[in-house]
Amino acid sequence: MIKVVNLKKIYQDNGVPVKALDNINLDFEKREFTVIAGPSGSGKTTLLNLIGALDLPTEGKVFFEGEDLSLKSKSELAELRLYKLGFVFQAFNLIPVLTALENVEFTMILMGVPEEERHERAYAILEELKIAELANKRPNEMSGGQQQRVAVARAIVTNPSVVLADEPTANLDSDTGTQLMNLMEKLNRDKNITFIFSSHDPVVIERGRRHIILRDGKVVSDTSK
Amino acid sequence: MFLKLAWRNIWRNKKRSVIILISIVIGIIAIIFFEALSVGLVNQMLDNQISIHTAHIQVHKHGFNDEKLVQNYLPNVEEVVVNLRKINKVKFISRRVISYGLITTAENSSGILIVGVVPEEERNITKISEYVIEGNYFLKNKNEILISKRLAKSLGISLNEKIVLLASRVDGKVGSELFRVVGIFQTPNSAFDKSTIYINLRDAQEMLGLGNNISEITIISTNVNEIMMLKENIAHKLGPNYEVLSYRELIPSLVMQQEMTGSWMLIIYVIIGLAMIFGIINTFLMSVFERINEFGVLKAIGMHNRKLFLMIIYEAIFLGILGSFIGSVLGLTLVIYLSKVGLNFAVFAEGLSAWGIAAIIYPEVELTGVVKAVIVIIVISVLASMYPALKALRLQPVQAIRHI
Repeated sequence: MIKVVNLKKIYQDNGVPVKALDNINLDFEKREFTVIAGPSGSGKTTLLNLIGALDLPTEGKVFFEGEDLSLKSKSELAELRLYKLGFVFQAFNLIPVLTALENVEFTMILMGVPEEERHERAYAILEELKIAELANKRPNEMSGGQQQRVAVARAIVTNPSVVLADEPTANLDSDTGTQLMNLMEKLNRDKNITFIFSSHDPVVIERGRRHIILRDGKVVSDTSK
Repeated sequence: MFLKLAWRNIWRNKKRSVIILISIVIGIIAIIFFEALSVGLVNQMLDNQISIHTAHIQVHKHGFNDEKLVQNYLPNVEEVVVNLRKINKVKFISRRVISYGLITTAENSSGILIVGVVPEEERNITKISEYVIEGNYFLKNKNEILISKRLAKSLGISLNEKIVLLASRVDGKVGSELFRVVGIFQTPNSAFDKSTIYINLRDAQEMLGLGNNISEITIISTNVNEIMMLKENIAHKLGPNYEVLSYRELIPSLVMQQEMTGSWMLIIYVIIGLAMIFGIINTFLMSVFERINEFGVLKAIGMHNRKLFLMIIYEAIFLGILGSFIGSVLGLTLVIYLSKVGLNFAVFAEGLSAWGIAAIIYPEVELTGVVKAVIVIIVISVLASMYPALKALRLQPVQAIRHI
């Protein structure tokens, strides 16, 4: 489904080149529940960003469903992110001026889903994630755990093939983090959504069925349960 | 939802949005005020000139306007008057004798334009009777003269004193008569005051040997918007021996000034626009950079650059519309109030009167001016938001998300 070939990413830090990813080769299949682990600075976020077409590699290619992302225009990449990918960020990143329901609806507006249908789908997803009571609340009226659940709802409401989650539990307490992982696992199982998430929390890492360990921008281990 | 999002974004930082709104409101008030003042000023100059002397239309013998000789009197005056009275839309007419001459006292003299009028007819045409500040507007006695305060001062004469008028007669000899000052007038036009005196038509005809002849007929139309049509109608009826001129041909410089108001306003728009645009760009830049991270998230979830750009532009349009609405209400209220009470420029009265403007100027509300101001302000707001919007679009999503 996703193929990463000889992927390299070098950042310039005050003119000094910093190798964030060094020759990564990986394959991700449908319905995987994969965790990318490793210490801070190992390249987890960079890898997720490149898979999610949020950034451009220095060298190498990312193939999504057989298509080379480097050959796509900005607009085509935006379409890919809209229709095929869902994102969950460490800092939740909900739109602060919109309510939970509106945040979930927003991606469907971008897709041109009719108002009635998107309203129904957004409510349904909030109910499914047991956060329907938050529908009319804005992010600043919600806890971190509630915001992250809304973020997950926003990521999956468009029925994406893949959800990329960058340290989704990092800003949550352990109970809320466990609940979020349960939710992601359930969605992976029930809706066949591929989840690729990063973490350095051993409890969260343990939940992944495939473990990719990065260190200094290289894959040091790739194992499946 | 994009509109809702744009609207809510505006109010995320109320203080900043209020600052932008204040600058827009001040800009629009300034445009409405200057437009109303310019229109009022020029219209007042034109109205003054029309109501002091020119009237809407003047009828002369063909060629009189090029050479104002007493010999160029109107042929068949009775017939012309009868014909003019029959024409629809001719409201008032006044017969005049016009001649250049000399006014003299024992010590001084001055070149002047002698205007012989029928006082009752002239009262309907010009405001000269209203501008009499001392004495009377004719007393129906023989050889009465009205002179301006300015001329009286320069000649060193006052009310009830006598002066002599000298002018060339129809037969080529010099005619002269002794006149008594019965009234002193003061119009808003100092140049006119310096050079014009009024005497009775009958006295003028006698002094100049004109018999029953006159030099011009002035006309006031029933409808100011149809003066050109009326002029054409009169010219057609009277034939080629007569010269029929509207105020547009008689005072072309003022008409041109009126027409140039639009160009002047364009300069005002540019000045106000430049003053505003940098302030708005600066505030919008702050607003956009504060939300770069959020724009990154929007891009990450699949928002196209075009829609993101539009969202920022919508914010500018909302602010422009809101500011324009408030500014228009306040600007119109101000201008409507000033159009009733007037703006007192008494300090500059001397200078203004040289241009034929009274010390109190009444701004005139022009709705087209308000519409233009609103369009200008909205365009400026949109232009000011384009640079920050384009800057936001250039970033890769990941760069934007990482932006602090």
